[in-house]
Amino acid sequence: MTVDNEATLEIQHLLRDFRPQDGDLLGALHAVQHRYGYIPRIAFRVVARQLRLSEAKVYGAATFYSEFRLTPSPATLVGWCSGPACRLKGSEGVRRMLESRLGITFGENTGDNKLGLHFAQCNGTCEYAPQVWVNGEVVGPLTAASTSDLVQKLKDEA
Amino acid sequence: MSAYEDLRAAADAVWAPIARPQRPLFVVSLNTSSIAGGATHTFDALRKLGEGAGFDVMLTGDTGIAWAEPVVQVQKPDGQRILYGHVTGDRADAFAQAALAGVAADFAVGVVAGPPVAGVPMLADLPWMKIQVRWMMEHCGVIDPENIDHYIALDGYKTFEEARAMERDQLIEVIKGSTLRGHSGSFFSTGTKWGFLKDAKAEPKYLVCNADEGDPGAWVNRVVMESDPHRLLEGMLIGAYATGAAYGWIYIRDEYPLAIERVRTAIDQARARGILGEDALGSGVRFDAEVVRGAGSYVCGDETGLIASVNDGRGMPKIKPPFPAQSGVLDRPTNVNNVETYADVTTLLKLGAATYSSVGSEANRGTKMFTVSGDVARGGCLEVPFGTKVRDLLAAAGGIAHGRALKAMQQGGPLSGMLPAEVALDLPLEPEPFRPLGAGMGGGGIVFVDDRACVVDLNLMFAHFLEDESCARCTTCRIGNQRMVEIFARTSRGEGEANDPDRLQSLAASFQNSNCFHGQLSPTIMNNTMQHFRAEYGAHVLEHRCPAKVCAPLVRYRVIDQGRAVDDAAKICPVEAFEKHGGKWQIDDVRCIRCNACKDVAPDDIVIEDRYVDAIPLRMIESAEVARAGGVRA
Repeated sequence: MTVDNEATLEIQHLLRDFRPQDGDLLGALHAVQHRYGYIPRIAFRVVARQLRLSEAKVYGAATFYSEFRLTPSPATLVGWCSGPACRLKGSEGVRRMLESRLGITFGENTGDNKLGLHFAQCNGTCEYAPQVWVNGEVVGPLTAASTSDLVQKLKDEA
Repeated sequence: MSAYEDLRAAADAVWAPIARPQRPLFVVSLNTSSIAGGATHTFDALRKLGEGAGFDVMLTGDTGIAWAEPVVQVQKPDGQRILYGHVTGDRADAFAQAALAGVAADFAVGVVAGPPVAGVPMLADLPWMKIQVRWMMEHCGVIDPENIDHYIALDGYKTFEEARAMERDQLIEVIKGSTLRGHSGSFFSTGTKWGFLKDAKAEPKYLVCNADEGDPGAWVNRVVMESDPHRLLEGMLIGAYATGAAYGWIYIRDEYPLAIERVRTAIDQARARGILGEDALGSGVRFDAEVVRGAGSYVCGDETGLIASVNDGRGMPKIKPPFPAQSGVLDRPTNVNNVETYADVTTLLKLGAATYSSVGSEANRGTKMFTVSGDVARGGCLEVPFGTKVRDLLAAAGGIAHGRALKAMQQGGPLSGMLPAEVALDLPLEPEPFRPLGAGMGGGGIVFVDDRACVVDLNLMFAHFLEDESCARCTTCRIGNQRMVEIFARTSRGEGEANDPDRLQSLAASFQNSNCFHGQLSPTIMNNTMQHFRAEYGAHVLEHRCPAKVCAPLVRYRVIDQGRAVDDAAKICPVEAFEKHGGKWQIDDVRCIRCNACKDVAPDDIVIEDRYVDAIPLRMIESAEVARAGGVRA
């Protein structure tokens, strides 16, 4: 038997309009991630119950997609664009600078959870290549050198 | 008055002051590209200034002119309209003053309407515009995409009124009779596809709009959704009438938050006006729609992957049959088209078959939207007749930037191939000529690649993408792409093996046994480049050299001049690879990560050179030693 705690009840409330057999799973997962910044473990059970699916199916769906996070997001998420226009204009140098100055790679956060790196897909703002997205906001065109300044700024602001 | 006439009268009243402004109207493009360039600040700054200076500010979508964002069109009461570019927020004040006083010459891109202005070209005369036939894009950069009345005032939803006056079969025949085919890259007859759904027995039926535009370098669907979302909705509504579909899902990728917002707004407004819902404009057509937000998965762009994603699960493409028209969303008959296709249905019926067929090639009438990016002088979105030569498209985009030469064209995302300049330039932009080349035209993204790029590096990038985005159902695709990554990774290290080309060929054959296009087409870029750029590939394997000096493991950075900038270069190095020996800076090659920051700072003092001019990779030495010792290398 499931004992509902406060968090469970809150997620239940969040999902009250989602229905089984209605193509709502992605929407439900987005709603949870929008609220918490990631999908907490406990949410799988609540989503599963609401949509009458197995927990495994919900977990399977959540882990299929690169934009669902299962761990808390950092205060500042830096998305590195992996697209071709960025590549042609030196995004590999930007990546190497980010990784070495932050000491982390994609999917990781700095020890203090303030900064994280995310492997992002092209959104078609290629006139600003190579670029990163700082909490969704495009910053570019960058060079490896200006990326160094950007990292310093983000560290100072964090 | 009919329901439509009522709507139209109200919309005309809203549109009138935009069409004939009483005081200057600044129309600011707010789209994902312009916002990346700071257009939100421009919009806010102009809003503030307008209150005091007596002008109005309106938002619009995307003109396609990404190369001059943030773009602002100023419409004067006397009918003069000028398009300005690079209007960033910090320059908004100076810009507004100049534009109000006369013409802000520093910012001018072109005169849209009104008398010619000395020193400013007519917009229509710019090579960028001259090549275009803007039918699907007629409202892009003209109307406020968040205001349904603007769309209605420009004959929006009138096409639906006209379409429903036709019998459903007749309507489908009109679409079949045109050459309108799926714009996503499949180029399957849209009329035929709609016929399948109409003839399907089970109820209810559904429409899906594929807006999971995942090809890197393609954003044509984004332009439509952010600039003219009702054109998409009207196409779906016409499709609902033609096929009997009752509900629609518009599946938009997570990377397009603004498109998601604008399509949702469009749906809400259409519902509020009685266009979507129980009885569309009193026609008896019952159709409603919702947006499904994707979450980052390339294979959801495959129609069966997309359906699987909506159907409460992982977006893994399925084996056909059953086809979506038999069993799709919620196991009901379903038709999937992409954004541009639905928008093109509206366009075809609005223009009429005769006008629609007046441009294009023999086999492909009408127009197609393309986005150009990469090493091109002017990137953005253009709509051109089918059959336009690549050479002409590239010229319209200002050619290759910085006077470099075109090396290759990478079109239609990672599954459509990469062709060398000498093959690409004379290709007409329509699907058929690409096929004998072992390539595809794809859905509209075109990345131009200049002569500084390395094909091994690009292969490695795309192989990583294909591996990462494989749904992993088929072994041929899951493992095949892993093998492809391994081969190109070692090639980029100068450790490619002599029989790797044979292995790649064998992989290409086994990929064909994958279920969906993702697997089947994974070797396309590899095949194209192994055919056309074999010498460059060979240099990596046989000479342990990257001719373009891009592959990091095959180059080294060296200080050749002890200029003052080298002190700064040493400071910026994130791995402290700079060391002073005898008062001179040197770079420790073992520590160097080849981020290029030092060369950004001291471009004239540091060179990138072949790493193995006088040495060969360690692994080669090891294997030679093992061979000499009579052993067998593991």
